[in-house]
Amino acid sequence: MKYVIVGNSAAAVGCINGIRKVDKEGEITVITYEKEGCYSKPMIADILVDLPEEKLIYKDKKFFEQKNVRVLLGTKVIKIDPEKREVVLDTGIAENYDKLLISTGAKPFVPPIKGSEKEGVFTFTELSKAKAAKEYITKNGVKDVVVIGSGFIGLEVAYFLRKKGINVYVIELLNKVLGKALDNRGSEIVEKIMRDIGINFFFEDTIEEILGNEKVESVKLKSGKIINAEMVIVAIGVRPNTELAQTAEIKVNRGIDTNLFMETSIPDIYAAGDCVENIDITDNTKKNLPLFPLAFEQGLVAGLNMAGKKMKYLGGLPLNSLKFLEEVPVLNAGIVEPPDSTYEVLVNDRFEKRGYYRKAIIKDNRLVGFVAIGEVDRVGILTGIIRQKLDVSTFKEKLIDIDFGLVHLPKNWREARIQQDKTGYNDWRPEE
Amino acid sequence: MEQKQQNKKRRNLYKVYPIEENCISCRYCEVACTMVHSESKDPIKAYKLEDLLPRPTVEVEGPVSISVMCRHCKHPFCLDACISGAIWQDKNGAVHLDEDVCVGCWSCVLVCPFGAVHPHLNKRHSLKCDLCEGRDFPACVEACPNRALVYDRER
Ligand SMILES: Cc1cc2nc3c(=O)[nH]c(=O)nc-3n(C[C@H](O)[C@H](O)[C@H](O)COP(=O)(O)OP(=O)(O)OC[C@H]3O[C@@H](n4cnc5c(N)ncnc54)[C@H](O)[C@@H]3O)c2cc1C
Ligand code: SF4
Ligand code: SF4
Repeated sequence: MKYVIVGNSAAAVGCINGIRKVDKEGEITVITYEKEGCYSKPMIADILVDLPEEKLIYKDKKFFEQKNVRVLLGTKVIKIDPEKREVVLDTGIAENYDKLLISTGAKPFVPPIKGSEKEGVFTFTELSKAKAAKEYITKNGVKDVVVIGSGFIGLEVAYFLRKKGINVYVIELLNKVLGKALDNRGSEIVEKIMRDIGINFFFEDTIEEILGNEKVESVKLKSGKIINAEMVIVAIGVRPNTELAQTAEIKVNRGIDTNLFMETSIPDIYAAGDCVENIDITDNTKKNLPLFPLAFEQGLVAGLNMAGKKMKYLGGLPLNSLKFLEEVPVLNAGIVEPPDSTYEVLVNDRFEKRGYYRKAIIKDNRLVGFVAIGEVDRVGILTGIIRQKLDVSTFKEKLIDIDFGLVHLPKNWREARIQQDKTGYNDWRPEE
Repeated sequence: MEQKQQNKKRRNLYKVYPIEENCISCRYCEVACTMVHSESKDPIKAYKLEDLLPRPTVEVEGPVSISVMCRHCKHPFCLDACISGAIWQDKNGAVHLDEDVCVGCWSCVLVCPFGAVHPHLNKRHSLKCDLCEGRDFPACVEACPNRALVYDRER
């Protein structure tokens, strides 16, 4: 059996693990156009605060050797030919496959902005780009940076730049940071912390034009304001990278369409990670959920299936940790702001006095989301409850306690999980 | 035959099982854990000077109490989520967390369904049960005065 994996990141590593659980012999080839090896994408912004590059390594050479995987770095796959069962590389060579995984990730979304071709405009979704941005800062003595977008990446970049003493201006179309990814109270807390360290925010505004000769000199906002800055970082989100899939006419919606075995519309071609359209188990809608844990898990499920062990994906769940914010941990999962009055909301807001905030969102006696700020120990129990769609009616007011634990769950739950070791992948499916 | 197949699937993994009926919420397990993972190996110093956290958590609700620690899951969600590569599984299935590789992103905290991996906010790394690596027997089991913890092969 010959496996080919396009991409060398979270989903790829999950897939390697999945394949090797079943098939110790088959040939595995990983192909990536990036040159840096298997680094951790969520950590690339940390180089702004001088994290040494070797700390970015997610899986080193030893991992690939132990798993007996051949890796082609700096090699782009330009086409998939499902008839011939091969992928065509930019070197002109073709690699044949029996099972193929597409894990081409996501691409930064860059809207058309007048002047965006100028030097000093960057996105922040690949290590090489992050390094280029850092170099530009050093070389040009950059003192002021405009960040467009206040999503996770935008805020993270803004935060690190500020820690390095740079003046940062964040431009956001909405009236709050983190948009739908965090609830209003959470956003307020995060915004306050970021303002306190000196980050400037411009809400309900957007960039109209980037001004300057060859290089960025200033930015004109829709409101008419002019901000002097030598650099612009565009961080308004990512879109699934489906280019390669489209060369084989694989079905693509808002991302590559897969079934729960992570198979695409073409036999023997699987897809996982940021390039696919995921399914959100809290509202059963399909959406893009470009998140590391989900990419890894999908890769793992794809790998198992590719190697012949049938396994259905549990479904996706939006979940985030605002990992850069040293001051206060901010964790959330699922639905964070109730979309209508059929949802029940429980809040335990002691942020001002005790430094923590917890909120639970419940629908039809099932937990569908939570926010935890300040005190975050053990909140994974809540994530598990969402995943399992447990009936929380008998203990729901406990969900927002910082001491919430397994002791509040039904005894038979504990028996099954702990005494009978029901901790396999399938053990976390909702009970019908 | 069926029995045999099931046995074959069992992992050769020994871990700690809490028996809630026996637990008297004395928290000796927490203290023992903190101590063996300390520099000083002294319970008072470990707690007061070393800024350590216990890896088991004794939960209490009315008359019920239970000590919860990492289950070394068959499917460790913490491993899926770990962005730094700090979490790994050995050939027996035990789940390890390299504290010096960890970057303190708390992704593992967010997904562990047992709440068994703990964020150390000051030290900016997570920590969890390591089955007392390097010691021949888990300290929590040894310390429990009421046999509410047993060290046993996975079921
Ligand atoms: C700055 C930043 C911070 C983030 N922080 C977090 C966080 O805190 N938590 C979280 O959950 N997620 C975070 N993410 C998102 C997370 O990084 C992604 O969800 C995850 O990396 C997705 O993994 P993936 O394997 O699907 O794809 P990617 O990591 O995007 O990797 C895609 C791979 O495909 C390769 N590739 C693409 N096209 C081709 C081709 N044609 N030929 C060959 N190779 C190709 C690329 O070289 C790359 O190796 C962050 C992302 C960024 C950019
Ligand atoms: S830390 Fe949690 S998810 Fe990871 S193996 Fe232990 S119990 Fe399972
Ligand atoms: S906190 Fe550490 S161990 Fe946990 S996911 Fe992040 S890097 Fe991995």
